Amino acid sequence: MAGEKLETVAVVEQKEESPKIKSVADFLDFIKKELKPRGNIATPFNIISLPIMLIGYVFIVLRLVFGLGRPITNLSQEYPWGLWIGFDVVTGVAFAGGAYVLCFIVYVLRVEKYHPIIRATVLNGFLAYCFYAGAIVLDIGRWWNIYNPMVGNNFGVNSVMFLVAWHFFLYMMAELVEFSPAIAEWLGAKKLRKILSGLTIGAVVFGITLSTLHQSGLGALMMMAKSKIHPLWYTQFIPILYFVSSIFAGLSLVIFEGSISHKVFSHQIDEHHHKQYDEILVGLARICSVVMFGYFFLKILLVVHEHAVKYVNSTMGFWWLLEMIGFILIPCFIFMRGAQRKDKGLIKLAAVLTIMGIILNRLNYTFIAYNWYVPLTERYWPSPVELVITASIILTEVWTFRWMVNRMPVLKEPPAWAKAMDRH
Amino acid sequence: MEELFTYYDMFSAKGDEYLIIILFLILVLGFWSFVNMNAER
Repeated sequence: MAGEKLETVAVVEQKEESPKIKSVADFLDFIKKELKPRGNIATPFNIISLPIMLIGYVFIVLRLVFGLGRPITNLSQEYPWGLWIGFDVVTGVAFAGGAYVLCFIVYVLRVEKYHPIIRATVLNGFLAYCFYAGAIVLDIGRWWNIYNPMVGNNFGVNSVMFLVAWHFFLYMMAELVEFSPAIAEWLGAKKLRKILSGLTIGAVVFGITLSTLHQSGLGALMMMAKSKIHPLWYTQFIPILYFVSSIFAGLSLVIFEGSISHKVFSHQIDEHHHKQYDEILVGLARICSVVMFGYFFLKILLVVHEHAVKYVNSTMGFWWLLEMIGFILIPCFIFMRGAQRKDKGLIKLAAVLTIMGIILNRLNYTFIAYNWYVPLTERYWPSPVELVITASIILTEVWTFRWMVNRMPVLKEPPAWAKAMDRH
Repeated sequence: MEELFTYYDMFSAKGDEYLIIILFLILVLGFWSFVNMNAER
């Protein structure tokens, strides 16, 4: 991570002057300059991640050309949803939930305490949608038809996928608008920034509405497989479980990602914000613990409602208990203790456990508790190609996030002209 | 497999559900005060 620090130092040392872009040629020159890497390129992170990304891109091309079958993936008619849907799309979208929760807290409830992390969170959410939800392209058999629900060639309104497709598309647009003032500040486009800032509240309200719908919409997708999902996980209220869990999943990722960002990009953040960040962590831990406490009881309630308690004393039941106790109840209490003691270490530990729990929960729905009655030898396991492509997508998102944070006012203060504009 | 997915009377578990909700409402009050307790004081 030392290389990233060097890169951030280089950014801060640059004068915070906005570029003077008056023509298309100026714009292209500016972009060309910004695309050049800054600081030391040969960092351990870059050396490890670059080959994985390049191999992943080759595999992506192979998948798009030769299709979904073996040896590219282990997907089949029995297991049509694998790692890409379970991890990239369903889990990735849950983790992007931090953006709509924080936007609601900051812009609707007007809790200004969380304002310093709002841009980084929205950027993270936007990139998560672009890369992880974008990975849905890989999962669609006839991927060249992906535009059909958008253009009306074949809307497919009878499919829950129509709902998911439009929610993804609209929410990505809403998040882009929410983040766009930072892009305008980076480009030095004062007039554009004024217009885009005016759109923020509208985009936030629209985005929150969409989020409540599509987080639960992904849960609705799972309801199509009623006979295949284990009764301890299947309930007619999966959409509500998905929505509630996205709140603490998103905030846990904000804690996890924010803690790394505050170390890697520490030179971009002033002393005041560093101190404020500890209070922000405690506040987020409080929210997570209370929501997880409610979610735990909701899960118990639904298992009773679905008459599934009798399955707890079985192999799948013990697996369910591991998720319930190990990755919901225990992190919930660690969050609580961390918030009480204002212990950053405990809060981060709880965030990591929660992230693991959400990954486990979503993978349970897509392939672990899915077709659970099939013998282990005939079960789906992700192929090496699926794993490499997933790693490649995550690393590309991290590279993009780093590139944008190093160039745009995400963690660092906006330029003086933008602050003056906000005051008027 | 089939017996796992037969229809059932969705109201038969209502008593247990009410108890769980009441238990949650009682516990969440204590939990809320614990969360907001400052251990440093």
